[in-house]
Order: sequence, then C-alpha cells, then structure tokens
Amino acid sequence: MLSKTESLISSFPRKPRGRGGEMKKFVSVFSIFFAILLIAGFALSQEDPDPNSPTPILISHSDSTRTLAIPAKQWRGQLPKEDTRAFAYGAEIVIFITNIELMPDEGANAFRVYIQDSSGREYRFPVLDLQPVKGKGWIYGLTVQLIDEIGYWEEPPAQGDVLIRVSWRGLTSNRTRLGIGFVGGKIEDDPESKPTPAPMEPPKKNQDNTAEYVGRRWSGDRIRFMEQATFGPTPALDARIRRIGIRAWLEEQFNMPYPSAFPYPNLPLMPSTPPPDCNGNDGDGVPDNPPNCYRERYGMYSAQSWFYKEAFYGEAQLRHKVAWALSQIWVISGTDIQQSSHMIAYHQVLSRNAFGNWRQLMYEMTLNPGMGEYLDMARSTKNNPNENYAREILQLFNVGLFMLNLDGTYKRDAQGNLIPTYDQQVVNNFTKVFTGWSFCEDTTQCPNRTQGAINFKDPMLLRPNNHDLTAKTLLDYPGASTTRYIPACSNCTTISAITTYANNSLNQALDNIYNHPNVAPFISRILIQHLVTSDPTPAYVQRVATVFNANRSNPNQLKEVIKAILLDPEARGDVKTEPNYGKLREPVQFLTNIARQFDVRSADRTDLSDGVVSVETNSMGQLAFMAPSVFNYYPPDYVIPGTSLNAPEFAIYTTSTSIARANIVNTLVFNRINVNTGRGVTKGTSISLADLEALAAADASGNQLLDELNWRLLHGTMSNQMRNRILQALNAVPATDARLRAQTAAYLVLTSSQYQIQR
Amino acid sequence: MKRREFLKSTCAALTMTALATQVRHFGLLSAYAQKNESFPPSDYRALVCIFLAGGNDGNNTVIPNHNDSSVSNYSVYYNARNSQGLAIPQNQLLPISVPRMGGLTYGLHPALGPQTQNGTTIVNNGIYELWSQGKMAIVTNVGTLVQPTTRQQYQQRTVPIPYQLYSHSDQVAQFHAARSDQISYTGWGGRIADRRTSQDNPNALVPMITSVAGAQLFTSGQLTLPLSIAPAPTGLNQVLALQGYNSTSASQARRAAFNDLRTYDLNHQLIAAASHITEQAIQASNALQSYQEVTVTFPNTTLGNQLKQVARMIKKRTDLGVNRQIFFCQLGGFDTHQNQPSTHNSLLLQVSQAMRAFYDEMVVQGLANKVVQFWMTDFNRTFNPAGSGSSVGSDHAWGNHLIVISDAVTASDFYGMNTSNGTPFPTLAFNGPDDADSGSNARGRWIPTTSVEQYAATLAKWFGLPQSDMPAVFPKITNFPVWDLGFLTAT
Repeated sequence: MLSKTESLISSFPRKPRGRGGEMKKFVSVFSIFFAILLIAGFALSQEDPDPNSPTPILISHSDSTRTLAIPAKQWRGQLPKEDTRAFAYGAEIVIFITNIELMPDEGANAFRVYIQDSSGREYRFPVLDLQPVKGKGWIYGLTVQLIDEIGYWEEPPAQGDVLIRVSWRGLTSNRTRLGIGFVGGKIEDDPESKPTPAPMEPPKKNQDNTAEYVGRRWSGDRIRFMEQATFGPTPALDARIRRIGIRAWLEEQFNMPYPSAFPYPNLPLMPSTPPPDCNGNDGDGVPDNPPNCYRERYGMYSAQSWFYKEAFYGEAQLRHKVAWALSQIWVISGTDIQQSSHMIAYHQVLSRNAFGNWRQLMYEMTLNPGMGEYLDMARSTKNNPNENYAREILQLFNVGLFMLNLDGTYKRDAQGNLIPTYDQQVVNNFTKVFTGWSFCEDTTQCPNRTQGAINFKDPMLLRPNNHDLTAKTLLDYPGASTTRYIPACSNCTTISAITTYANNSLNQALDNIYNHPNVAPFISRILIQHLVTSDPTPAYVQRVATVFNANRSNPNQLKEVIKAILLDPEARGDVKTEPNYGKLREPVQFLTNIARQFDVRSADRTDLSDGVVSVETNSMGQLAFMAPSVFNYYPPDYVIPGTSLNAPEFAIYTTSTSIARANIVNTLVFNRINVNTGRGVTKGTSISLADLEALAAADASGNQLLDELNWRLLHGTMSNQMRNRILQALNAVPATDARLRAQTAAYLVLTSSQYQIQR
Repeated sequence: MKRREFLKSTCAALTMTALATQVRHFGLLSAYAQKNESFPPSDYRALVCIFLAGGNDGNNTVIPNHNDSSVSNYSVYYNARNSQGLAIPQNQLLPISVPRMGGLTYGLHPALGPQTQNGTTIVNNGIYELWSQGKMAIVTNVGTLVQPTTRQQYQQRTVPIPYQLYSHSDQVAQFHAARSDQISYTGWGGRIADRRTSQDNPNALVPMITSVAGAQLFTSGQLTLPLSIAPAPTGLNQVLALQGYNSTSASQARRAAFNDLRTYDLNHQLIAAASHITEQAIQASNALQSYQEVTVTFPNTTLGNQLKQVARMIKKRTDLGVNRQIFFCQLGGFDTHQNQPSTHNSLLLQVSQAMRAFYDEMVVQGLANKVVQFWMTDFNRTFNPAGSGSSVGSDHAWGNHLIVISDAVTASDFYGMNTSNGTPFPTLAFNGPDDADSGSNARGRWIPTTSVEQYAATLAKWFGLPQSDMPAVFPKITNFPVWDLGFLTAT
C-alpha cells in the first residue's frame, strides 16, 4: 500500500519538531542514527511519515495560463511545443502535470480530470493513461479524453475556453485554460492564477506547508484521522496520538479489549409477548421487575444507550467504529428485531469480526438468529423457501448487481452495457442452500436456550428435514467452477448425512460468494465511504481491494484492510483541497463528534452521559439500530439531485433534518439534553464549552476562540470569509460575556455546512 | 436512459447556459421551462400518494361478492382462504356494484366502511360511502412490469421481467420510480416536478413536492428536492422552525451570520449541496410561520396526522404560491405474514378514516375535484394463506388493486387492462391463467395486466403533464399501448 519510502520512514523514530526545512534535514539524519539503535525495541516510539502528498501542478504555457497540451496521436513522449490550439470534443489529448510522487503501481486511475465551462457546469473527463515525459521523469503526460464521464449534462458546447484541473489524492491542481472548439471565450482565470510552465528540474520534495495551518505539525491530519477512525476527536486523544503517532495508535486499537468502557448489556431472552412483570404496565397489578424491565429488554433502548456510551467514552474506538460501519452493510433493524438482547448478539458478531476475516464474518452472520429473523432465513424451508437472505447476501452484502473491476468501476460488455452479476435463477439456487436453519432450541446444543423465549443468542441450528437436497447452480465468474455446482444429495438417508450435506453446501455457497471478484472492490469502496470519503478515486479502491485480496485467508484480513483505508495517501494529509472530497457527517456521528469534542457528561455534569440521545438523532433522520430497511439509512450509490455527486449520507439530509441538526446544536450549546422526568429517570446529556469560554475571556478580539474552533472542528480549513463573519457576530456580544461568545461561535461553526461535511 | 438523453429529449428550447447557471446556483426549478407555455395554470391541483408499506393484501381488500360462475366468485375466494381462517364472511363485505363487471357485486373489506369501535378513533364513516357517490376508482391488477406480459411469456422468460419480484425493497423502488427494467435514482413524482415546477409554480416559496414521511425515492428528481416536514400534531409553523433565537441583538447577529455562512465556500460542492438544502428549509420555514387549522376532525393516527398536515399545506396554497403540488404519505405494517385478520383490519380502518377525513376537508376547502388521493404499495399478497388459525397471514405476491379517491374520479368502477378472462379482475385460481406460480404448489400471485407506469401516467396526465413529456417521465411507458386508464377526468 505504502510506497517503499513511506513505509521505511514510518519505522524511523522522529522527534516532534518545529517549523522549517533546516530542522527537518537535521531531524532526518538524526533519526536515522537513532533508528539503528532503537528500531527493534521501541515500537511505540515510532513516528509517522509526513502525511501530506504534494499538490499536483498542471503545466501551462510559459507566458499564459493556457494548458500545455497535444493530441494523443501526435505525442511522442516529449514535452510539446506551446501551440495555442483548440481541441474537438471527444478528442484524446495529453496534458502535463508535475509535483507528484507516485507509489508503485499508481497510475492513471489515481487521477481525475475536471473541467468547468463558461456557464459553470462541471464535467469529469476519463483519464486513459499516465506516462513520464522522456528525460524529465518529474513531469507526467496524462492522456485524457474530452468526453463527459458522468453523463449528467449535455456534452460541453464548443464555446471556447474551459478551465481544467487535475485531482489526485484529494488535492486539486491549479486550473488552466483549454480551448474546446475554439480558443478564447468568456471564461475568466481563477483569481491569482499565473503561468505554471514546465519545470526544467525536479521540484523540491517535502515542501513543508505546516505553516498554513493552525496548531502543531500535522494537527490537521490528526483531527481528520480521528474523525475517520473514531466517533470524534477529543483533546486528550489528540494529545495521545500526537505523542505516539497514528500507526502506533492503530496497533493499540487492534489489540484492545472491547467493549472498553461499558460491557454489553447482559439481558435475558424474553418471550415474544411481554409477561405481566415486564410489560411496562404497572396498572395491571403486577409491577415490572426490574422497574424498567420493559424499556430495557423490549425495543432498542438498551442497545442504543450502550452504543452511545461506548462511542462517547470507550477507548476501543476503532473497533466500535468499524462494527458500526459493518452494521450499515449487514443491516438488521429494530423495526423487526424485538429485543435489545437480540440486537446485541448480532452486534457481537460484527465487533468480534471487525478486524477479522470476511469469510468468517459471512459465516457467522448467515447463522446469526437476528439476521435469520430479519431476512427470513430462519423460516425458509425446502417446502416454503424464502429468498430474502439469498438476495441480500448477494446484492447488498457482498457482490452487488453488476460486475466490477478491481478498482470498483463497472465492467462493460462490447456494447458498453453493464454486466449483471447474477439472475433470479441464481437467487433461487442460493435460496435452496439456505433452507433448513432456524433458531437454536435444542436442549443439548444451545447453551443460551431459554424456556418460553426464542433463542436469539446462539447461532441458528439446522433442521435437517427442512433442507433442500436438490442440485444447485450458483454464481458464475472466472474461477467459479470449483464452487458453482452443488449436486443433489445422493446419500441423504440419515439425519447425519443430511447435516453433513447441508453444512458442506452452506460453506461451498459462501465460498462461491467470497471468491467472486466483486467482493473486494465492493466492500472496500463501501468501507472507504463510511470512514473517509464518499467518492474515492478508483486507485484508492483498488489499493484497498488489493489488500483485501492479498489477505483472503488471513484471520486478520480486515485489520489489514482498515489499515490500508486509514493510512492511504488519499485519506491522509492536513487538508484536502479537492472540491468534491469528503462526506456528509451522518446524524449519529454528527452528534458523537460534538459530544466527544466538548467533554460530554450527564445533564447536571456530575456523572457520565447515559447515552440516551435517540430522540435527537431520530429527528436528524437516523436512529441507531433502527434502519428503515435492509437498504440501510442511505444507499451507497445515492446521488444528490441537481448534482452529479455520489454522497450516500445526503439521502437523509432533507429540509426537515437539516433544521433538526441546527436545533440539536442549539440544544447542546445553549442547553442540554434533559433528563426524562417520567418513568425511568435518565441522566441526560450535556457538553461543556469551558475551554472555549476561557479563550473568549482571554482574548476580546475573538481570534483565539476562532483559532481553536478552526483547528478542532475544521482542521484549519475555515475560510477567511467565514472567520470574519463569525467574528462580526461575536462583536454583537459584550466581551464580558465570555460564555455567550463561546456559545455563539460554537453554534455558528457547528451548524455551518462547512462543518456538516467531514473532509 | 442516461441523464443526458433525458435532458436532450426536452430541453432543446432552453438555452443550456440558463440551465447550467440555475443548477449551479441551485435555483433549479425553472430548468424545464417550456417556451410554448407562458402562463401558469389557472386552477390548483394536487396528487396525494398514500403508500401502504409492506404490501397490502388486495385479495382481502376487493373481493368477489357474487355467485356468477363465469368469473371468479365468492365461493372461489372462500374455498381458497377460509379453511386457514383468512376469508372474510360474505355478510361482512361492503357491497359495491361494478359497471365494468356487468354490474356484478364485489365487496370491500369491512374496515373501509362505518365502524362502531375497533381500537382506532372513529371520526367518520370511512371511504366506502364514496363509492356510491362516484368518487372511488379501483384500478385492478396493477403491478410492476417491463412490458405487457402473458403467463406463458412470464414462465418461459421470453420477455423482460421486473428485477427482484417479491422483494420488498426492489418492488417498492419500482413503484416509486415507475420503472422496472433497471434501478432508477429518481422517482416519478420527482421527475414530474423536474418538468413542471417552473411552468406551474413560477412564484412558489416551497418545492412542488412535500413529503410528510421522510425523504423517499418517489420524491427525488434529477433536479428536484422535496420539502420534507413532520406530520401533525406538530404545527405547520413548527415543522421547520429554528430554535434558540430571540430578539436580543446578540441573537439577531448570530442569526444573520448563520444565514450568511450558507453563502460561503460554495466551490466545495458537498458544502454547496448542504447549504442549498438548508437554504430551501429556511425559505420554507419563513413561508410557514403561520397557518390556518383545518376544519374537519382528523383521526389522531399515523396516517391521520400525515394527511392533516397535507391538508394544512393545501389550505395555505395561495400564500405558498403553488398551483400544483404532490404529497407523499406512508403507513407501514402491511407485511402481514402472520396475524393478518386483526392487523389488516386495524390498518385498513386507519387508512379509511384518514382518507375520508382528508376527503371531507377537501370538500370544505372546495377542492374535492382538484385533489386526488391514490394508493401505492409494495405488491399484493399470496391468495393462498400462510399458516392457519389465529396466526394466519399471507406472503409476497404481485398484481394488486389500488384505490383512488377524488371528485375527479370519472365514475366509481374498476379500471385497468383486461386480464385473460376478458375483465379487469384476475381469475382467482391457483395455477390458473393469471397465476405467476405454477404446479401443485402454486400460491396465487397475479401477473399484473396494468403497469405502474400506466397507473402513474394516468395520474400525471390529470395533473397536467403533457403527452409529449410522458416518455421522458415514464421511460418505459412506450412499451404499453394505453397511457390513460380513464379513471380521472379533469373538471
């Protein structure tokens, strides 16, 4: 995943340093010396390499901002002459970039090329090839076809110059002019743009751009990393990661006990019909025992409040986070799952396998009784088969509807059409394989069996007589022949023979899915979307998918995948300048990020929060463990209407929920989430702006306050315009009212669209 | 159809610069303006979708109530459903005389009529009365189709079949999208709004579509975002109210900054998209600061409260500057695999009470012929019951019967294409001429004879979508010979 250089550097201990290149050289030499001494013994003292990739520079003519370009057919590998010419729509041309450092195997699909026409529309042009310029290895020719890749708009009219830019690892280049149809036209250069002629020697490496950002070195990257890998940055975690580095922190996380702050609620399995002493109705003459029995055992209350407490306070953040992401792939929901104990048994499968092996997760999830209930496998028999689980394990959990390349882009047939991964017959055949398993109610094989209640804790058990014994034909793809055909059972005359046949069939069917070439890119892309960015470059997906595939039989496969996602150069860096980079914070994490950043406690601040915040997240459109359907809260391929942006979380960002977000911020900043004064007292939830107040009191200009918010919430990306506007609002608050100043500033940043987007 | 083709097919008249500028600045709504129509409509019309989520059992909603053996009669129904406990006794059916069936009597589920008490607030006589008043159309055997499909074609797969039949999520999506050949990212409500907003609602303060049941595929167009608001009892002036502001100068300054921040950093497209939606919310919030309460008493139920909020919005239509509106409501719980009789009864009772209250309110508002309530649902349920006794239910099936309520209904009757028996009502026979299932285990899943597109296009035509725009909004409508099923007449 990492370049050789980068992974080598990562094992060198480096002391934190101040700004400036001289210091840096010194540190490098110094650290090599110490590396020899320390490399074996002090794993925790390792420090991270510079997370920042250089910003690509798109080369222009030497005396203007016109793009240096040549028709692809005419390119012979050298820098072309600076001809002022226009290109036809559909043409293949070569443009030139520099100031990039490529990893091995990093090629054309790491780049995206966007143009904007004079009417403001943006198009994406496919990048076909990347080659270094002969004799000038620091310059690359990028072959681009002038055709809209997304197909959202009409093709760009040949109305003269457009602005073109190259995007790489979440960083955008400068924009230069390119004539389509003819040269000229009304589009204006970006402010302060200037010619970027081809450099005659390699650019200096490791430009230190720390000075542009607030806070300590790489503090922007650290905040971004915490937003990706946890339920939100905290000042304490920031200090710790600054000390040990993100790689050492990751290793800690992989080995940390879980849950770390609060054990899973230990709830008994209850009958489907609540008994008199647990029905929430004390008027029936039988008081509930324990007093909140009904609320704690029926419904998702216990699972949700546990989930939030662990998110607020748990140390094992990464496992909690990945399990949460997995729960949005392998979806089950409290809309159909009756009890928190059922949901917890399901969540344990996710968390146990969050850093494990995907195939093992597939197996455990297939036999999980909660999943069996939600997608009806627990009721699917040879005489009354139900195809729900068979369909979703293919469509949503592993393979998707259409054949993918390793980088997650669609394969196409000779006519340019998408290629379906399977048809209804395949679903029917998987359905047959999944028949016969049901809830574990055997007196000897089911340790958690509870009289009078359905066993939602132990894996489902085969009822041999309900298993389909006919032949099955499964997914077809190159290499599928070893798993595709399951013959009819020829010797199924005994229970034991049927059991063997059924279990073998199940494993073969899961292998048949797991071995499908779609699984690695399909899962990698969704995990990247959940952790880092909504629309990753194909190269990023490919790097992660490659790790997925390289660790197919590794019991710690997902650990490697998660590392690959979080340490990828497209994820790392102090700031991402690419305008399409990032993701909308989903409501659950919007709330946890605010809570963790500002010392979340109970409403009266004397205790920890009890994690009862579901009413609040629900108003924002997301209720933990209550996805509206197996399609999750939002689909991974959601495109925002009126745009061509793939941004899943926007599916639940509506007029109603956007106002709700602002109102939740109002509640937290100016008030608190109140205790429930009715039956079942809760502790409520509040945040503290004490540290912000101190800054507001110390500096009447408001600048320190704004610096702090810019660093902690926006990792240094607050625009001057935004900053000045908030300062203006602060001036309407008396400087003596530090509390209201802190509240005002925090409210404005937290409600801003700039903060809704994690980038 | 790619988006580009969609745009190309109708936007020729519009300069692309204008389109792009508006989209860029998220002033999307006039993007589909048509040059040949220059005036907004002179009347008001609204479509109100009521989605029965989970798959309503149409076989227990509209039931043969006659003894004519030339078509499926009550005995056929009784014999198929009674032994397991799913048949409704004939003397409880609410009789309707159906002209299209030669005047034969059919029966509606008793929950659609007057009730004394059943756990749900009873505020009116239900929708059954509206049949005799000529206000109820029943579109029979509607379902997802790619093209007209015979049983033989279905069984031999000689025509394309809707993807993932009997799957909730996929079939719901196909009803929302009105297309079944491929996954769609837009819904038919949204696509109508894409086309019509600038023409019909040039001065609107709110989007053409309002959902009182969250963001839905149905409400999303290529350019159109719905207004999403909470149902009653939340006041219409509270649904999008920003909390925490007062009249102090500090608070006012914060509010002004809050508004200004939305106009910054729009070069980052995700930020711009979020700001656009919030901007829409704030505009609507400003427009909804006051409202008038409705006159009619609505039941205090999920659907009752949704339709009450819709009625409040409609009452405010003049202030909001809207001439055409589409609303989306939804009631869940129809996936009655078990315990169907009691569950289904209470759900249909809720539906009937809420729809009748809404209808009565529209009468009060003088809009009974300008507002159409129509059903959509995942699919029908198996004619063959699942299980038996008190836990009896039914499973996922296909073609279904959908109710439409309005004074714009042409006449109370069955509508839709004829099945193989020469009538619009399917033959209720396992392994029979309309059953998608075959063999001895056939469970009675009617192959639809009328497509979702035809049903939706009929509604869209009444709403004012020109014939020439039909193929763009309903890309597969050209596979079907009839685009107007005739159940609505504009008055």
